Amino acid sequence: MSVKETLGSVLIAGGGIGGIQAALDLANSGYYVYLVEKSPSIGGVMAQLDKTFPTNDCSMCIMSPKLVEVGRHLNIELLTLAEIQGVSGEKGNFEVALFQKARYVDMDKCIACGACTEKCPVKVEDVYNEGLVTRKAIYALYPQAVPLKYSIDADKCLKLTKGKCGICAKKCPAGAINYEDTDKTLAINVGAIILSPGFKAYDPSGKDIYNYDGSPDVVTSLEFERLLSASGPNQGHVVRMSDHGKPKKIAWLQCVGSRDINTCNNAHCSSVCCMYAIKQAIIAKEHDPSLECTIFYMDMRTHGKGFESCYNEAKEKHGIRFVRCRVHSVFGQATGEVGQIIDYLDETTGKVTREIYDIVVLSVGMEISPEVKALAQNMGVALTPGGFAKTDSFNPVATTREGIYVCGALQGPKDIPQSVIEAGSAALSAGASLTTARGTLTRALTPVQENDITGERPRVGVFVCHCGINIGSVVDVPGVRDFAKGLPFVEYVADNLYSCSQDTQDAITKVIKEQKLNRIVVAACSPRTHDPLFQETLLNAGLNKYLFEMVNIRNHNSWVHKDQPLEATIKAQEMVRMAVAKVALFTPLTEAELSIDQNALVIGGGLSGMAAAKALSSQGYHVSIVEKDQTLGGQATHLFTTAKGESIQKGLQELVSDVTRDENIDLFLGAELSEVDGFVGSFHSTITQKEHTTSTTHGVTIIATGATEYQPDEYLYGKDPRVLTGLDLDRKFIAEDPALNTVQSAVFIQCVGSREPGRPYCSRICCTHTVVSALHLKEKNPSMQIFVLYRDIRTYGEREALYQEAREKGVIFIRYSTDDKPVVEDGGEHLTITVTDHVLKRPLAIQADLLTLATAVVPYRDEKLAQFFKVPINDEGFFAEAHVKLAPSNFAVDGVFLCGLAHYPKPVDESIAQAQAAASSATRLLSGKTINTSGNVAAVNPALCSGCGVCEAICPYNAPSLITDGRDAGKARINPVICKGCGACVASCRSGALQLKGFEEGQLMAMIDNI
Amino acid sequence: MTEALEVTGNPSRIRDKALALIPDGNLSACLTCGTCTSGCPATGQMDMDPRKFLRMAVLGMDETIERHPWVWVCTMCKRCYDVCPMSINIPQLIYDLRAEWPREERPKGILGSCDHHIKSCGGAMGVSLEDFKFTIEDLAEECREQPGFKALKADLDRQGAFFALNQNSREPVTEPDEMLPLWKILHTVGADWTYYSKMWGGENYCMFLADDPSWETIIRTQVEHIEKLGCKVFINTECGHSFYAVWQGLQRFNIPHTFEFKSIIEYYAQWIREGKLPVNADWNTHGIKFTVQDPCNLIRKSLGDTMADELRFVVKSVVGEDNFIDMTPNHSMNFCCGGGGGSLQAGFTEERHAYGTVKFNQIMATGADYVITPCHNCHAQVEDIGHHFEATYHTVHLWTLICLSLGSLGENERTYLGPDLAEYGL
Repeated sequence: MSVKETLGSVLIAGGGIGGIQAALDLANSGYYVYLVEKSPSIGGVMAQLDKTFPTNDCSMCIMSPKLVEVGRHLNIELLTLAEIQGVSGEKGNFEVALFQKARYVDMDKCIACGACTEKCPVKVEDVYNEGLVTRKAIYALYPQAVPLKYSIDADKCLKLTKGKCGICAKKCPAGAINYEDTDKTLAINVGAIILSPGFKAYDPSGKDIYNYDGSPDVVTSLEFERLLSASGPNQGHVVRMSDHGKPKKIAWLQCVGSRDINTCNNAHCSSVCCMYAIKQAIIAKEHDPSLECTIFYMDMRTHGKGFESCYNEAKEKHGIRFVRCRVHSVFGQATGEVGQIIDYLDETTGKVTREIYDIVVLSVGMEISPEVKALAQNMGVALTPGGFAKTDSFNPVATTREGIYVCGALQGPKDIPQSVIEAGSAALSAGASLTTARGTLTRALTPVQENDITGERPRVGVFVCHCGINIGSVVDVPGVRDFAKGLPFVEYVADNLYSCSQDTQDAITKVIKEQKLNRIVVAACSPRTHDPLFQETLLNAGLNKYLFEMVNIRNHNSWVHKDQPLEATIKAQEMVRMAVAKVALFTPLTEAELSIDQNALVIGGGLSGMAAAKALSSQGYHVSIVEKDQTLGGQATHLFTTAKGESIQKGLQELVSDVTRDENIDLFLGAELSEVDGFVGSFHSTITQKEHTTSTTHGVTIIATGATEYQPDEYLYGKDPRVLTGLDLDRKFIAEDPALNTVQSAVFIQCVGSREPGRPYCSRICCTHTVVSALHLKEKNPSMQIFVLYRDIRTYGEREALYQEAREKGVIFIRYSTDDKPVVEDGGEHLTITVTDHVLKRPLAIQADLLTLATAVVPYRDEKLAQFFKVPINDEGFFAEAHVKLAPSNFAVDGVFLCGLAHYPKPVDESIAQAQAAASSATRLLSGKTINTSGNVAAVNPALCSGCGVCEAICPYNAPSLITDGRDAGKARINPVICKGCGACVASCRSGALQLKGFEEGQLMAMIDNI
Repeated sequence: MTEALEVTGNPSRIRDKALALIPDGNLSACLTCGTCTSGCPATGQMDMDPRKFLRMAVLGMDETIERHPWVWVCTMCKRCYDVCPMSINIPQLIYDLRAEWPREERPKGILGSCDHHIKSCGGAMGVSLEDFKFTIEDLAEECREQPGFKALKADLDRQGAFFALNQNSREPVTEPDEMLPLWKILHTVGADWTYYSKMWGGENYCMFLADDPSWETIIRTQVEHIEKLGCKVFINTECGHSFYAVWQGLQRFNIPHTFEFKSIIEYYAQWIREGKLPVNADWNTHGIKFTVQDPCNLIRKSLGDTMADELRFVVKSVVGEDNFIDMTPNHSMNFCCGGGGGSLQAGFTEERHAYGTVKFNQIMATGADYVITPCHNCHAQVEDIGHHFEATYHTVHLWTLICLSLGSLGENERTYLGPDLAEYGL
């Protein structure tokens, strides 16, 4: 067999948040990406969500910039309406057969004006809104969709099904409709494949249990998400769908389609439903504080970062009621009145209590669709019994077929941050398999020579956008255009149907050149999504991209003042006048270019640190590991097996051996950082080992400093040798301590030191660890009596199977409450552990030979390190990432990344995934070799600076410093590379010495003067 | 505070036995989630509920549960098993625990009925075959005098009859006139049917007694006899548990047979569709409201929702679509009335009434004047809780209403009709 050429391209199947993140990581690291999505636009389920837990950020707002970036990326090719049919070849060179459905709309011509949809006579179920409302047969998936191109639903279109109608073709001003379009099969060759097809929400229809088919007031959580959303069918007003009445009481039923092997075949926990139910209840209550929200649950699983405090706030601050009972069923009233009946077991009284709810939300779980399962099998990707991709804890995103990787829900049920982490991990892994071909298939823009406008009088061009009917139906766009014509310095005005369409962009470029315009104002939609587009247009026309100002007359006018068109038009005119006044004062800004040192520093030589180092090395980068102990391994040296049963010692030894032998990796053991200077691309650190110091320069830093185990002073720990911590027990397992074989009765107590007032977070790993340990003990002695005393069992995802197995093997789980904790006494021959049984409500006295305390994971709270890199630590002592949802392995500070226990407690597979994700983010930076920073940065006028140092103290990024020598010694200066342009220093400067470029005082005052 | 229960080392005999014998019997798989208990009308009776019961088994509290009388309050309706996320067969555990009771200590009412049945080789009320034969002949004679039924046939052991029909003992013994409506229906459609003489009683208290050998004896004897008669179809009368005893017995005891086993309700529906049973709701001019009880044994435990739909088709055809109000929940999700599982004979009347409150409230919520109960136990329990809680609804079998609609309901066949219909059509 001939060795095929390794290709520097990756195909990603599935354009949800995982696929998007992986695509961006790869495309920014030198690989060409095909992003294949089966629907007409990317975004996946995250695009349907109203808010995201636990911060309740608007989902679309945080996602939209990523959508836009993917849509505009030179090295990402979007293949929508497409699915994989088959894969041949091997790692390095796969041939992927794709089936692409006809769109019937020419993507190059469609300007997304919406004229087609408006007149289309066919109404079909709106999938984006979960079928709660209808849309037309020609449609865009959602208003912010990428690509924002219409498509025709071929099964419903009258023209395509019956040869009648054809209205859309008549209405389309761009001639984009093509009824002759056909389905296609494509063959694409790529070096690696990432599967990110996402999940299918459990469908409760066809089952009588929850009355889902019987009443429109019983909705799935995804339907409720759309009801909550301002872009949903009721503009965010939650109503009973049966009569559009205002609800007073809403119930959430957890574990619908999860943890159930009877009414469905989903033994797993879906991991996300507890948190989204809490989120939905809080948001619903924020909409209407008089609403009564009740969540019926089995175990509250708030095991992620910030989740437990969100749960506590839901109870204490928001008054959400939590009832621990999985309810038998939901049914309507015989009289046909609105209101759904729920009977539940009230644990406090032992009686069945009946309540009537206006809306019942079914917290539906995740499953993998039969189509995806079939595809996986067809591709040779093995699945678990639960239908998720089979992976190894030490290689968490590699499928069983070499060169094919997985991220997101197909890897196992998970939330957005975990999907984003895995996306990074998958991107890293795919990239690492193709390093020899990096950069061979990517394209780069050829920069246009920038015209020098120094000394030129401002010549402003104003472009006003109709945005289809979005703006034009409310605001008098020609009126605004004509108004702009009379403003100072304005030389050219125009109005466009869609300013963002490719042809309009070309037209603007031409006009700038012809009219010699040197300042541009676009009055259209949101700069958040469209600033980069227009800036690129300026660049193409040879203008400095900062000579541009955008006015949002859509969100700020037509959308919010749609009933006052006259006032909206006046407001738009005023806003344009302000923008013109400001833009006239703009000067070209320069961006600092910085070369990135190609070395990396990893702090911490545990599993995460080593995995990160290995990942970076695999991409060809040199890494230094700084480890405070004399040996590598961190906490993993004490751990017995993973949840999947792999030996951690074996995996650790392999990793240590890999890292030790790797010529790209330098090890500094028994070492710590004594000094850090510099910033992204150019850090200078001093590593101290006893008396010896080493100076190193590195472009990026990964913090993987880990955490430690809580040392309890309760439950006779340290006083009785039969009382152990979870790690103590693992050490005995590793040592094959014969004493374990003779144990007749073993007890575990959960949440020791976790979920307590002083340490309010859940330590995430202990429930699974205990269940795994219990199973190991059962293996040693099947007749051993084992009791687990717990508060909520949190064996999330497929770990639930272990909990089930433990119960099936006779491990008895007893739930205790914090006001009635277990009591441990030395009973001589045995330990006596007394606990109140949660079902019988009577005390049980357990005689045990072994008591294991599942103790908390405690962060080191390394203030010194935080200070060195200007990175924050949260209240709980863990490092705080840039964004809990979408940047879980990044810091707000550029060039510094985070992984492992230092971020939050997590098991081996998740630690390794995050290490690889951190390495992936670092690779994005390193592979660019240089970075251009923003021109919108602060600058000091030394003549005015008093050198007071306030700016230096206030900057969250360490950008200002005081000059130590030369003419301006003692004055502040801003490092433009570090500055984020937040303006905090500018506002704090008492001398007026600081200005933010692009937002200078004179420019802002000019705007205010023009109101 | 209760004294602490010592749990270590307790042998969980019941748990181990369930694991060994019951498919879906791994009791320790229980999540203690409360699904069973929140849907069980026996919750709280005798301070017990399904979850507690299971918990005691899991914790090895065998002594507490092995003779706990709650096993006779639970009707084994399978509402818990239906949705238990771990699919734990609690009703089978209850059954097996009933079987562990020394036979003579089991409730006398159930025990006596089973023994009578076996001894008489007829039915649970111990009626001799001669008496049954006489009743049939006497009643048939009487019926033939009514207009339109001159040629009516009701016989026993007629070789080669197409249908074999079982008969609950209650009618021939205590209210023979209640037999006539069903005969009239069979006559109207021209059915070729016969009773059979061995174990002719449809009821099966041996099943409630958890006496497998006796349950099997009854079914096997019936089956063998019907096979000898050469009947093509074995029809079960309007009775839930007798249906289940045969339906389940045939599988459980692996009894060979060539006939088809059907519920009479399936035939009511078929005959109405075929026009052989020309019922209509024209008689219900005053909008008398009806609801229907889905017998657990016929619906949830055996034939499922398609049977429930058939039942509604029959009911609506007879009383009128607009006059039918369904209870909620219904079909397979319906609540047991509390009369199943032998509870009517078990002797725990107070608990049975308390159990029945769920059903009673369900009925009252419909506002119906009549409850149609195509099941003898449902009929007796619904009737009884109606009296007990002083409601004014009436409880009727379908056969009464079908004949009322056909205009053939005799004067003496109206025991369960209210005054509003007592005279109608006479």
